[in-house]
Amino acid sequence: MEIFTADPPRDERVSLLAVRDLSKRFGGVSALAGVTFAVDEGDVLGIIGPNGAGKTTLLNCISGLYRPDAGDIRWEAASISGMAPYRIARLGIGRTFQIVRPFPSMTVRENTAMGALFGQPDRRLQPGVALHEADDVLELVGLGEKRHYPVLRLTVPDRKRLEVARALAMRPRLLLLDEVMAGLNGVEVEQALQMVRQVRERGITIVLIEHVMKVIVGICNRALVLNFGRTLVEGPPADVLKDRRVIEAYLGQRYARDHG
Amino acid sequence: MNPVGRRRPDWWRRVALIVAALALAFVVLAPLTSIDAAQQAGLPLLTDKLWFRIATTVAMFVALASGWNIIGGLTGYASFGNVAFFGLGAYTVGVLVTNRGWPFALALLVAPVIAALFALIIGLPLLRLRGHYFAVATLGVGVAVGEVVNNTSQLGASTGLFLPIVRSDLAFFYLMLGAAVVAVLTTWLILRTRFGYGLLAIRENEEAAAVIGVNTTFYKVAAFCIAAALTGLAGGIFAQWSSFINQENVFAISDNVQMILMAVVGGAGTVFGPVAGAIALELIIQTLAGGGSGAVYSQIGLGVLLAACVIFIPRGVIDFFGGRSRLSWRYLRQTLRETSA
Amino acid sequence: MSALLQVENLSAGYGMTPVLFEVDLDLSPGELVALIGANGAGKSTLLGALSGLVKISRGNVRFADRPVTGLRPEAIVANGLLHVPQGRRLFGSMTVERNLLLGAYRRHDRQVSEDLQRILGYFPALGDKLDREAATLSGGEQQMVAIGRGLMGRPKLLMIDEPSLGLAPNVVDRVMEVVKAINQDGTAVLLVEQDVVLALEIADRGYVLENGRIVMSGPASDLRRDPAIRKAYLGV
Repeated sequence: MEIFTADPPRDERVSLLAVRDLSKRFGGVSALAGVTFAVDEGDVLGIIGPNGAGKTTLLNCISGLYRPDAGDIRWEAASISGMAPYRIARLGIGRTFQIVRPFPSMTVRENTAMGALFGQPDRRLQPGVALHEADDVLELVGLGEKRHYPVLRLTVPDRKRLEVARALAMRPRLLLLDEVMAGLNGVEVEQALQMVRQVRERGITIVLIEHVMKVIVGICNRALVLNFGRTLVEGPPADVLKDRRVIEAYLGQRYARDHG
Repeated sequence: MNPVGRRRPDWWRRVALIVAALALAFVVLAPLTSIDAAQQAGLPLLTDKLWFRIATTVAMFVALASGWNIIGGLTGYASFGNVAFFGLGAYTVGVLVTNRGWPFALALLVAPVIAALFALIIGLPLLRLRGHYFAVATLGVGVAVGEVVNNTSQLGASTGLFLPIVRSDLAFFYLMLGAAVVAVLTTWLILRTRFGYGLLAIRENEEAAAVIGVNTTFYKVAAFCIAAALTGLAGGIFAQWSSFINQENVFAISDNVQMILMAVVGGAGTVFGPVAGAIALELIIQTLAGGGSGAVYSQIGLGVLLAACVIFIPRGVIDFFGGRSRLSWRYLRQTLRETSA
Repeated sequence: MSALLQVENLSAGYGMTPVLFEVDLDLSPGELVALIGANGAGKSTLLGALSGLVKISRGNVRFADRPVTGLRPEAIVANGLLHVPQGRRLFGSMTVERNLLLGAYRRHDRQVSEDLQRILGYFPALGDKLDREAATLSGGEQQMVAIGRGLMGRPKLLMIDEPSLGLAPNVVDRVMEVVKAINQDGTAVLLVEQDVVLALEIADRGYVLENGRIVMSGPASDLRRDPAIRKAYLGV
């Protein structure tokens, strides 16, 4: 196994996830043009940037739905670039989708159990056991009472919770959240933040894409700004959100004004 | 709307189940009255040649519809070329028995294997396609295989193959019934396992299935091969039962469409939906074909019936039995869409 | 002049599921009214009921002094009530220009191309993207096209559903500036927004929808300061 030689990561530990020079093109359009960053165990990394900056493309490359054109993605120093999605899932990487993708003919409980049934590293569960594990996860995200609901009966915030629940049932080490807060109002965002905090308390590393700055400030220990497929700025959220380039490219004057 | 199926009142369900059980018992036992021993014992003859012909055909379509259901209903890949597997199974038996002198029983064991192998070969490339593209590609394969066979002299070309005639309505009925039972049992077993859940996930949202750890390629191909094997088995039995096979009767596109309609009208994605659909549709087809101007009226009648089904019982016939039906016509439309939303 | 839009005792829903109960709402010409509320409260359903997409089970709607309850969507559009739905819903494989022109589909007057120019004035960024496929635009640009398409119908009232959804903060600013400008130029606007601060900042008045019922209404400035609202929607 090749040792990852780049600028030595902090503490000489191997990062949990390391992305180097990642590029992805669609036809003539460069969605990602050389993105580099690393995520350590325990981080909560927030990724922000304008629409079309490449955020979801980045997540799709990491989770295996897209094959990168150039660059590398490493999970604990082993390359996973271009690996089949199901194998990446079983390594311990779970993700949600921006527009939720539940299994419509299954109940909330069954949907969640699917994560346990297929995604757990080193375990092949049977349906019965998976359903039991689902119950625990559903309590965590606050959907316990709606276990037997058909998915179509859920409100939008609940569907997002379900999406997270299904990923959590995989017992992931890394969770990728794609705009989980979109469409939630102030109170709903608070509740979702609480849920994300509890996920972090379980020791799960989190990378989240958001447009809701409250989240970036509220829970992330690091922020990464993508613009036109490239990294614009990286660092602690407080610094990043004050950066002039970020305000110009993404936040706008009103945000700057309102947040000093 | 409750997608998991409305529950009809319990008494209705029980009555329906009792009726179905009785009908099944009759179907399984009545043919025994045609045995010489039974006749000599004075039992009334409950089944005649016509009865056997229809019953065997119905059993065959139960097997075909159930087979299709595994790739089309459970997995959501609506194949329009499954008749290729039927034909391959038939020709496997035909060639082995006629050209190689194999005993029928042995040849019949090989038929599903050949069909499954073919499914493996074409499945790997074809199952990368979705929705309409997959449907059209499989349709193309179905037609192509028939044409190739029709033009291959070793396979009898357009003349077809003649198998040694074996007269036993009873045996072939039970054989075909056996194939139907195997098909239904397979579906039932699949839906109880992890494999079944994986197929459903692929149907409902393939990208989501992939990122939660379902090996979608393996599962899809496996489902396709299982469907092919079941279809090929029915084809193999048909070959000997009919004693004559050619492109027209074992690679018929109308059979292709019929098995799909039966599964969908009955209730795609369920265990007994294809059974109900096959029985209902085949009996209607046989009835209509018998009356007067036969073929034309039967087609029109069938068309009207299907339109009525789409409008009034969107979840399929199985809905009348309070079955836990998943989706039906709507899902067929959905699965024919290119991407899962 | 009497109210442009008058909604009385409106109940509506989907099939067997009722969503809205006894909703009263009105809007005067040139007003900018915000409709806020939690997810699932029924905001989009209300817009759908007004534009004829959702079946009204009870109550009535008057628009520009005409009863429009139960009319088909085309007829409602012909009356000057236009709906910009949630999620943009553009014709992805058509060009930006085509999408905009389709907004004027029902119009038979000769000022369509003049209007197109005027509308491009609101959205200068679209000027050089007219022949790009709509699906290739960024989220913010798509939202501009969606609003522009609505404007091409020369509405008396434009109903906009969650324009800020999924957009970057600076893009949201621009979109809201445009909404305000449209309103100042004379078009009445009914704005559904998740971002309560944003909505109440530019609106004249607001309605709060909760579980399908209007629970509060009043001038935007009052609503902004109301403690119940601040608690429920701003998490303050």
